[in-house]
This record gives sequence, C-alpha cells and structure tokens, in this order.
Amino acid sequence: MKGLTAIGSRVLQTVFVLWAVVTILFLMFRLMPGNPMAAYIDPNFTLEQQEALMARFGLDRPLWEQYFIYLWNLLQGDLGESFFYREPVADRILSLLPNTLILTFSSLIIAYVFGILAGSYLAWKRGGLTEQIAIPLVLTTRAMPEFWLGMILLAIFSFWLGWFPAGGTRSPGAEFPTYFALYTSRDFLMHMTLPVLTLAIYSQGLPLLLMRSNMLDVMKEDFVTMARIKGLSSWTVVIRHAARNALLPVMTSFAISVGYQIQGNVVVETVFSWPGLGRELVRAVSIADYPLAQGAFLMIAVVVILMNLVADLLYALLDPRVNRE
Amino acid sequence: MEPLLSLRDLSIAYDVDGGTVTAVDGATFDVPRGVIVGLVGESGCGKTTLARSLTRVLADNARITGGQAFFDGQDIMALPERQMNALRWRKIAFIPQSAMNSLDPVYTIESQLAEVLCKRGGLTRARAHVRSEELFEMVGLERGRLRDYPHQFSGGMRQRVAIALALALNPKLIVADEPVTALDVIVQRQILDQLRDLQKELSVSVIIVTHDISVVAYVCDQVVVMYAGRVAETGAMRTTLTRPAHPYTMGLRNAFPDLKSAAGVLTPIEGAPPNLMHPPPGCRFAPRCPFAQARCTDSSPPLVQVDGDHLAACHRWQEADVLRPLAALTQTWAIDIGATEMGGAKS
Amino acid sequence: MSSPVTLAKGPQAPRRGILRMVRNAFRSLHLPLDDGFAIAGLVIYAVFVLVALFAPQIATHDPTEILFTATFDLAADRRPGEDGFIMGTTSLGRDVFSQLVYGTQSALLIGITAAVMVALIGSIVGVVAGYFGGWTDTILMRLADIAFGIPFLPFVIVLAAFLEPSIWNVVIAMALILWRDTGRVIRSQVLTLRSRAYVEAARVSGSSDLKIILRHIAPNILPLSFLYGSIAIGWAILTEASISFLGFGDSSTISWGYMLQDAFASQALSKNAFYWFVPPGICIILIVSAGFFISRGYEKILFPKLGR
Repeated sequence: MKGLTAIGSRVLQTVFVLWAVVTILFLMFRLMPGNPMAAYIDPNFTLEQQEALMARFGLDRPLWEQYFIYLWNLLQGDLGESFFYREPVADRILSLLPNTLILTFSSLIIAYVFGILAGSYLAWKRGGLTEQIAIPLVLTTRAMPEFWLGMILLAIFSFWLGWFPAGGTRSPGAEFPTYFALYTSRDFLMHMTLPVLTLAIYSQGLPLLLMRSNMLDVMKEDFVTMARIKGLSSWTVVIRHAARNALLPVMTSFAISVGYQIQGNVVVETVFSWPGLGRELVRAVSIADYPLAQGAFLMIAVVVILMNLVADLLYALLDPRVNRE
Repeated sequence: MEPLLSLRDLSIAYDVDGGTVTAVDGATFDVPRGVIVGLVGESGCGKTTLARSLTRVLADNARITGGQAFFDGQDIMALPERQMNALRWRKIAFIPQSAMNSLDPVYTIESQLAEVLCKRGGLTRARAHVRSEELFEMVGLERGRLRDYPHQFSGGMRQRVAIALALALNPKLIVADEPVTALDVIVQRQILDQLRDLQKELSVSVIIVTHDISVVAYVCDQVVVMYAGRVAETGAMRTTLTRPAHPYTMGLRNAFPDLKSAAGVLTPIEGAPPNLMHPPPGCRFAPRCPFAQARCTDSSPPLVQVDGDHLAACHRWQEADVLRPLAALTQTWAIDIGATEMGGAKS
Repeated sequence: MSSPVTLAKGPQAPRRGILRMVRNAFRSLHLPLDDGFAIAGLVIYAVFVLVALFAPQIATHDPTEILFTATFDLAADRRPGEDGFIMGTTSLGRDVFSQLVYGTQSALLIGITAAVMVALIGSIVGVVAGYFGGWTDTILMRLADIAFGIPFLPFVIVLAAFLEPSIWNVVIAMALILWRDTGRVIRSQVLTLRSRAYVEAARVSGSSDLKIILRHIAPNILPLSFLYGSIAIGWAILTEASISFLGFGDSSTISWGYMLQDAFASQALSKNAFYWFVPPGICIILIVSAGFFISRGYEKILFPKLGR
C-alpha cells in the first residue's frame, strides 16, 4: 500500500509540473511584447482563417478565458496552425517526433552500454596509468560543445574521408514506400551514424563516471568480500555482485539523461540538418512561427517531464529494498 | 589424532600511513577435529585478522609476514592461489560478523545458496534446491522463506542464513567472526545452541571469534586467549577459565558476567592495549598487569606448557595458584599503570 | 551523491574588522590547492582572465574589422601564416586570432556572471527553504520541480523569440532555471546544519534568524556554493556557444560561439579551414575542463573518500 501511495504522489507531482510548464508557456507567448494575437495569427492568413482561429482560441475574450480555452484545446491535441506550413502544429510535431527519438535513444543506448562497461573496467583497474589518462579524457568529452564535436566529425569523416553523408536523413531523391523501410534502410543508417556518434560521445561521460564511482563504493561492501571468501570467480564477484549493485543508479540516470540529451539534439540536428524537433524549434523561432515554436517546445518539455517520472518509477521497481508489499 | 588446524608462529601485518602495524605476532595454537574453539580477546588484539587470514582473503594493505598454518597437513599460507581457492568454502567456510552486509541485497537467499552449491559444489539447480531446503531446516528456518530477500529477514534469522551458507558444502572448518555480537541476548543463546547442535551432528570444527568470554564459556570446548597480537593462553575451556595461568585471562573473567551464575561485581582491567606499530619490549600485557615484575618488561614470555594441552605465556605461570585468588579481588586491579614497572601486586 | 561532509566550524567568535572578514571568507572557500588537476584548472582560468584583461594588447587586429592585404585584396580565407595573419582569416576577411582573443572577454563575462547568479540564487533558495521549512520550503521546492521540468536550451531559444538577441539572454535563462540543482543540494546541507546543537543554542538564546544564518550556516555552505558555481561557469559558456551557433546570439559581440556559427555558415568545413573552427572549440574545452577540475578538487575536500 505504501508503494502505491508513493507512486500516486509522484504521478500527481508530474501532473502538477506539466500543468505549470503549460501555463508558463501560455503566459510567455500571450504576454510577450507586441500584438498578443501574433501568437496564433499570422497577418498573411486569409481573413476567414484569421476569424476561424480567433474563434478557436477565443482571442477576443479576456485572458483568463483564453487560458481555459487553451488548456481545453491542448487536451484535445490542438496546438494551432503553423504560419509557415499552414498545417496543424500537432501533425507537424508528431511527424518529427520519431526522428528525434531515434537519435536520442540510439545514442543514449550506445553511450550507456559503453559507459557502463568502461566504467566497470576503470573501477576494476583502479589506480595506475589507465585511470590517469582516461578520467581527464572523459571530462574533456563533457567539456566540448556538442555541435563543435559534430563539426569535427563532419570535417573528418564526411568532407575529408567521404565515408558518410553530410546531413539529412536520406540521400536526395531516395524514395521509400513506408517509414519502416526508411528507418531500416542502409541509406538511413549511413545518415544516422555521425549524429548518433556525436551525441553518444558527449553522453557517455555520465554513465562512465557514475558506474565507476558506484563500482568503487560497491567493491568495498562486505558482500563483495564475502563473495571472494566463498571462492567465487572474479567474473562472478565483479559482474554478478558488484556491477549488478552498482548498476541501479546508472539505470535510473538513463531516464534522466533523455531529458538532458534532448537539448543536445537541438544543436546536433542543426549541424546535420536532421529533421527533428530540435531543428524545428530553432527554425520556428527564427522565422517567428510562434505556434510551431510553442508546439515544439511543449513536446520536448513533455518528454523531459515524463522521463523524470520514469526515472523515479524505475528506481522503485528495480530496487527490491523499496517496499512493494 | 592430528589436529585439523595447526598454527605455528603466524604473523600478519598491515601497511598504514605511519608505518607497519603487526596485528598478529607469532600466533601458535591447534584446533583439533570436531571441537568448538573460542578465540577471545579485546578489540584490536588481532583475533579477527587471524580468523580472516585462514581464508586468505585479506584487506589490500594486509600481508602474511611469517609462520605457517597447517590445515589437514598442508600449509595454507604457502599454497598457490588456485589451490587455496579450491579449499575456500569447500573445506574452510566463514561466518561474518554482520550477516546483513554480507548478503547481496539484490538476490534472493535461494539464489545466493544456489550460487555456492552450483558454482562451488557442482550441484545441478534441482539438487541445489533440495539441499537448500535441507540447510534451512538444519538451521531452523522455514523453507518458504528461501525466496525472500535479505532485508526481509530479522537479525537473528540472517545469522542463521549465514550459518546455512557456511554449512552448504560440508566444510571441515568453520570460522565464525563474532557471530552473535550484534544480536540480543536471547537470540544469542538460540544461535549458539543451534551452532553447537550442528557442530556435534556434522563433526565440523568451529572457531568462534569473540570478545565476550561468556560466549566462550557457554559453547566452546577449547579457548585461545589473545592479547595485543599474541596468544596469551590456550587450553580446554573448563580448565583455562576456572584455573587460568595468565593474568590477562584472570582479569577477563572479572570483567564479564557469567551466563550461568549471578553477576558479581564487574572489575574492568585499567588501561588500554599497546600501540601495535611500536609494541613495548617484553610481555605486552606488563603495563596493565598487577603482577608484573622487572623480567616481564625485559623479555617476552614464551608459550609454555602448564598442564597437558593448557599453555600460557607468562613468566610467573608457576605461581598461578597464588595469583589467582589475588586476581579475584577488585583492589588488585586498581593499579597505577606506571607503578607496575617497579614491583608486584598491591594488596 | 553521498551526504556531504560538513566542514562544521562550531559557534563563531565575533569578527572584528573587514580584513578579518575577508580573510575568513577566503578560508571558508577551502580552495583545493593540493590537487594537481585543480591547480591546473586555476592556472588555466588565470591565463584566460589575463588574456581577457589584456585583449587589446594581445590581439593583432580589431576582431570585427574587415581586413585587406597590402595589395588591397580582401584578406578572406587566408591560411595561418599567410600575409601575417597568425591564425588565418575568416571568409569575410577578419582575423581569427584576434577574434579568439577577444572571445575570452565574452566567455568570462557570461560565465562568471551566470555562475554567480546560479550559485547565489541557488544558495539563497536552499538556505531559506532549509532553514525556515514549512510552507516556504514546500513552495520553493515545487518551484524547483517546475524548473526541473523545463528543458534548458529549448527555453533559452524560446526566450530569444521575444527578447532582443543579446548575450544576457543566457544569463537570464540560467538565473531563472539552473539554480535548481544548487538549491536542492544546499537545502539538504542546511537541514543537517540546522539540527546541530550550536544552532539550537543560538536560537534559544534569542539570536535573530539573520544572524544565525550569516554566522553559522553561510560559512558552512560556501564551499558547496563555490563548487556548483565553478561547474555553472562551464555550463554558461557552453550554452552561450550553442545559442550563438544557432544564430540567436548577439552578432555585434565576438564570442567563440559566434566564430563557430560564422565558420559553419561559411562552409569552413568543406574548405577544410580547420584553423578557423578548431581553435574556438579548444578554448571552450579548456575553460570548461578547468571548471571541472577545480570542482573535482573541491569534491575531494567536501566528500572525502578513502582511496579514490
């Protein structure tokens, strides 16, 4: 019972944060300097379109009424019309979401697998030259601007060596019958490699250092020593006992990393002209396509907030000590 | 019959920031087959280090500096790692002080039992399950609880789990490091009873490391008294505790209430154990000993035979019958630490 | 992170004089002077500060000036060493080296301002929430929850939609959002401190809350604030670089991020103009790493663990 109330309150907290962010967004766009209606209406829309939008979002009503209409529309998935694309923002956002998620999750999975293995290894071989070189190196990867790293990789692997294309998700003119065909094609994979690599290199530092730190702590625990006294093999001691215990915080950090990673997406998508939410947000802001900018930002925020929730739930799930009675 | 374990002059040291601490200095005693031996002494006397050294899994900064430990005829201190590992748990098992921390929190007890049974005992999963149930029954735990996690057990039950684990592969020697210290008195007695019953049933030798002499009195057949890294006295439990030949043992008796009789006045031994990085010359107990004489600080008393297998390391062992009644008086121990350099007891 | 070691100093003797206050404040910082990397970090910072201060003397040209060669050609895309340009020129004919040098000014300006704001706001929130508890605490922590729910870089970008492009957008955004980590950690530290006997004694004897906070609580959290501050400098510089790169920065101020954006937009990659796009990145890496090393030195002091 205790477990359920804890989960319940955490979900409630998530709802609260979502509501707060949505409200902040509303206030930002409505209260910004200039014409308040500019948040939804482009002067280039036809008069009919303008009137339709005014009705839909109650733009002639007092602010607090607009707020509730906004919330109601939001719950129904209505985010307004993009000035540039002349189509519903929601549609545009949802079509871009997969591209971003593919980058995010692919790179994070690679980063975490590498980070966990490398971190364990460094903890095992503590002290000595490997550590002296590796740690500063890892810190350097976290000190570099992601887009710069992308530029370097582009310069080397695309422009100089010519191994990979310079951007986009597919070669010009390439046609694919379905999304599935696209995502599993070699063309797509080639285009995906450099951006994923960029994000992975930047992100691996966290799981690596975290895993190493946890392993160093866990290796001192009594049950690890007991495992050695029992005569179990090094593999069993280090992997089955130490690593398994050290892994838990790293797994929960995965969910949180998604939230941080998404920010990296913004710049990396720009460098590689990858059609995702990040790049769209940048473009929308630079051409003052407010509804689209709002929509893109909102989608990103929702992913971040949900992943924070997942992180907390994961922790409760994976640790048998957290009561589930 | 040849003793199961024979320690000869075993020495173990720790490398620390300021130098080297000799935790165990020339320990010598025997553990016969099928008995419970109590290894008793105060904190820092080296008993835990000694006990752990029998598994040859020591702290990173610890090393064996000399001596031998003959287990079943083989010197386990000289064995190559591979052969030593073959002995671990199969022949020599260990019960740690705090069972909670010695169990991996993310695996069930059954899985941890299966781990030793299958990986070190070569049993199949099915056989391991049967054996696990057997072990649980032996230590008095419900078999249904095999599927539980360590944190779901109470302190006493976890200790029983630790015992079950130790017995898993039918070892010849079990080394138990303060197995009941963290438990309340009633549970202590239950665990000790269980241990004694099991020991008789399986004829396994047990070394119980403890600072509590009442534990020794309750369950041990033999006792080894350690002080400041050295063996002060050893022998059959009854003899050694009723007719101790070493002043330290005499003092220990005063400092603990007897489990069986009503508690008398508790008399502590004044002072503290010596610094083992720079131990004093001669007998290490001399500074705190009410019976110390000049020769005590001059030369280290050797471990001599008092009677049969009762050994003591005291220059004045022959006067033990005279010193014993004096040691029973509180005033004897109210000594000025510095003054003992000069003479004998104040009466 | 495990719970921090409190460098508790017990009840404070009354301080006399500004000098002693300054000296005590400096000591409270517990600068990590015995860690090789931390010292390297401090040195790097010192070098950059000097470069920023003496930029006009060190730079060879005005960074925004479009330059011409002796033969009156536009000095565009010159390689390092050609025509006397140490690091070559941009596609528009501006000196890369001078831009790099002047870039230190905006980097440090943003970095330090933002870091101070983050550390300050975070510490104040942490102290107030931890010390006063109750509703104040609840409200402040809910605010922190919201701050955690807002993705930082996208937020800065959205802000750029409304505000004039300027480097201060980054500082404002950081002040609004990035205090969240510092706030939580300082709060838990204050909670521990508050239950200490000498704080209780001070309250019972009638000391005002402000006095207690200034005298007993603040000195003990200063190292933590400094720690988070030094990490925040790196974040600020990286964020500014990203914002400038995306084109939302101030184009009249030369920053490293601006240089990279300029390079990228001018096809420097395909022209293999490494002298243009590599150095700004290196500078960023150096200064941000320096921040990490210093903060690691602090961690060793604040969270001592044997054998690390």
